[in-house]
Amino acid sequence: MMQAYLDGKREASNIGMLVAGLIFGFAILGFLIAYGVAYGWVPLGERVDILRSNLNAIEHIVIVAFLIYAACCLRTAYGLFQREQSSLRWSQWMYFITAMVGGAILLSVIIPVGLKFSLLLGQDIDLRAVINEDPNVSGLAPIALSIGEALISVSLFVVGLLALLSLLVFLIPPLDFLRHTEGIRLIVTPPRKFVVAILIVLGLGVVGVLIAGIFVVPLYPGITTIRDVENHRLLAGFLFFLPGLFGYRVARQVEEQSDELRRAIALTPGKYIRANLAKSPSAGAIIGFIAIFMGFTMATDLFLEPSSVASFLSNVATKGVIAIGVTYLMISGEFDLSVGSILGVTALSFMNFMTHGAPVFGVMEPVPAALLAIFMAFVLGAINGVLLISTRIPSFIVTLGTMLAFRAITLVAIAGGRILRYSDHHESLPVIGISNIVFLALAVIGLGLVAFTAYRILPFLYRGARHAWLIREDNGDFGTTGAIVRAFAGLLVLFILLVAVVWLLAVFSYHASSGGGDIVEVGYFDLFNGRVLAIGSEGDFFHMQIPRNANVRLAIVWWFIFVVIFHVILTNTSFGNSIFATGGNEGAARAQGVNVDRVKLQNFVIVAMLTGIAAIYETARNPGVDPLKGTGWELEVIAMTVIGGALLTGGYGSVVGSLLGALIFGMLQTGLVLVGIESRLFSGTIGVIIIAAVILNTLVRGARQN
Amino acid sequence: MQYEQKNSDALVDMIDIHKHFGSVQVLRGVDFHVDRQEIVGLLGDNGAGKSTLIKVLTGFHSLTRGQIFFDNEAVKIESPHDARELGIETVHQDLALVPLMSIARNFWLGQEPTYEVGPFKFLDKKMMARESIQALADVGIHIRDSEETVGTMSGGERQSIAIGRAVYFGKKLLILDEPTSALSVGETQKVLDYTIAAKEKGMSVIFITHNIRHVYEVADRFTIIERGHKLGDFHKSEVSENEVADMIVTGQIPERLRLYEEEEEGGD
Repeated sequence: MMQAYLDGKREASNIGMLVAGLIFGFAILGFLIAYGVAYGWVPLGERVDILRSNLNAIEHIVIVAFLIYAACCLRTAYGLFQREQSSLRWSQWMYFITAMVGGAILLSVIIPVGLKFSLLLGQDIDLRAVINEDPNVSGLAPIALSIGEALISVSLFVVGLLALLSLLVFLIPPLDFLRHTEGIRLIVTPPRKFVVAILIVLGLGVVGVLIAGIFVVPLYPGITTIRDVENHRLLAGFLFFLPGLFGYRVARQVEEQSDELRRAIALTPGKYIRANLAKSPSAGAIIGFIAIFMGFTMATDLFLEPSSVASFLSNVATKGVIAIGVTYLMISGEFDLSVGSILGVTALSFMNFMTHGAPVFGVMEPVPAALLAIFMAFVLGAINGVLLISTRIPSFIVTLGTMLAFRAITLVAIAGGRILRYSDHHESLPVIGISNIVFLALAVIGLGLVAFTAYRILPFLYRGARHAWLIREDNGDFGTTGAIVRAFAGLLVLFILLVAVVWLLAVFSYHASSGGGDIVEVGYFDLFNGRVLAIGSEGDFFHMQIPRNANVRLAIVWWFIFVVIFHVILTNTSFGNSIFATGGNEGAARAQGVNVDRVKLQNFVIVAMLTGIAAIYETARNPGVDPLKGTGWELEVIAMTVIGGALLTGGYGSVVGSLLGALIFGMLQTGLVLVGIESRLFSGTIGVIIIAAVILNTLVRGARQN
Repeated sequence: MQYEQKNSDALVDMIDIHKHFGSVQVLRGVDFHVDRQEIVGLLGDNGAGKSTLIKVLTGFHSLTRGQIFFDNEAVKIESPHDARELGIETVHQDLALVPLMSIARNFWLGQEPTYEVGPFKFLDKKMMARESIQALADVGIHIRDSEETVGTMSGGERQSIAIGRAVYFGKKLLILDEPTSALSVGETQKVLDYTIAAKEKGMSVIFITHNIRHVYEVADRFTIIERGHKLGDFHKSEVSENEVADMIVTGQIPERLRLYEEEEEGGD
């Protein structure tokens, strides 16, 4: 239909105009929303005051996003009116994005309603009576609720009964003959139509309960931290979602109808995203991260607060550092149960060196103590590795043994129940002086890095944009637009680099002007894992105060730096290549001359040393060590790694995945509490998430294999 | 004990090779040689010791007694790495490729090209992609995308890539260990073509199989191993396909050829 329209066929012009008009409508809607947000009609998140000049960060982002969206819609509608061929592909993307936006808006109502309503039902036994009697509640609510609940119960009952029956037939051999009778066969493998019908009934039931919730929930604000329900969003959601879905279907049918066009369009947005996700080892983690992040953001206003974000980042930063190492080890086909004990031993050694002293060195300063403690971790990791490669015992057993053995070190060293505290032995926390020259040097190094980046990227971007402009005619209908977009992207990069230069120059001049010899005193533990209060000093050009209640720890920064470094090593060096080969097919790696034993030993040492570094962070944050420090961490870290897409059998995984896994872990830990779900449910939720994530990863990998 | 090279100017000359695993004697004094630019079919029934002989040559096993000459020099091969250094490339039956890694990464595994930034060495990914596609195309293997994982490919395609890689890197000797055992007729034919391509590039090839049909067409000479001993060396002109097949099964040299053997022995 659309193709006929684009070909200029008269009988198709109505539908073509309709589709183009729809997109034009989206553009208007997008502009309206941006305008509404900008003028404070549609408040999003918490407001400082109602002045329209005081928009919050979320509102700024939403305004810019909707302006871009509206501009794209306008361009596409123009293209459709002009009957440009390539506008069809653009229209697919616009419909796709529109449907996604609409779905997100709908979810932002549905998720809080569902959560709040279920909490209300759980808390207030008389809610039903209240619903029936309260004159403010629409008469529709009790009816929708009872019908919804009935439908849910019926479908769940049917499903449960069938599952139980087929399980019994499968489990009990004497019942085997039943399997071949017609009725039972239908139960064991129900026809597709039946499954669909049950799912529809279940869905209708959920919709019924949600409708009741939409009426009831706004009347009972304030019992939880879950976002207040704003029903007016439903209209906006439907306005985007339904036409978007309709348009996407129409555009997709076009692709299926025409062979010639299939080449031109090649991939619908859905397929494009699926194909690209399938390329990444951490696809499951990416999907899970987005879903959980969006879910919590929509469920409660508190989730995006700086304090919550800072708290979950600080909580997982140390475990995230260990997860990097565990990912390396898991990719090479082994794993390590002893990291918790290694953490305990390292933390204890570090503290002990500073309070009681080491055999030869006596009581040590923090820096040498940290280095010696990390060396201890190195030794423990080497013990693991050497045991593994010399005995060929599976790493599960080796590290199970060393987990218990290393734990004995802390248990023996600190007598029962005591805690080794820094403050018991020293009057004040350690302080080191940092010369101004260090800051100057750091600024110069930063400037050098910026210059190098500019040197590598800018000519490339410039040439790309110029080339796109020169061949804009050949690039088809969107050639000019594309060239302009590229030019803008180049300018944006240039702007960011300039900002970095100005900031670094400001830092440089600040430290240079206050005299080169000045010593800045820094709390020693702060350097490892201190609380960040502000970026830049008061009066600086780029001074940024961090909110008082946000607990931002320096370990977060170290963690991200480690992620970048280890990601580059894994994907861009021959060492990384041999790690993948060792876990993927040990024999093949050996045959190609990879020293498999060395790779494994190196990985055990890397895990142990990263654990050692994490131990220093932990001790710096809380300068006291108890004998059970780190107990249970090994399984949490393995969980993060597995959520991040690493295969337990080796050969597959990514450092970025471990980062996402750790973030998912942290978001759940903080988010569940904020939503008001009992924290006792945390481990249960994590369990479900691990299994779901691994199923997702397997599905995505399956998609990749085909 | 001092050994002397028997076949002067052969590429590989293995003399009096013994290999014991504990009390089990797998090889009991085998002599084996490969001339330059020659395709040798190494034949024998399952368990005859042909794989062990090759694993001794490629450094997977150390030998109990005997001596290997490579390029007219006595050598000690103690690890797969040593064998590679000498210019020996091997395509193992099931140890060829890592299924979860991309074609380019598999191709360069163990000898990745790098570029240096200060003290750090990074993979030269562009070169890896370009060269692997080019090198495989040179031996007649055309792939679409060097980033595709090997796990998505069929058995024949994997074997092709492993052989293409060995031909690319192998400077002197290419060893194919049962390369055709899991392949269809068409795929087998392709492998035979690659073998000839390797020979034309100046390499020698050892082609291990227990199925004479897979190698008779391309091999110049057959060496038959039988229970740890060498049954004999036969040039293609001397024997028919059926005679070789009989020898593998029965372990007996036919009457007609026994004469040949004695004459050759006498001539030595």
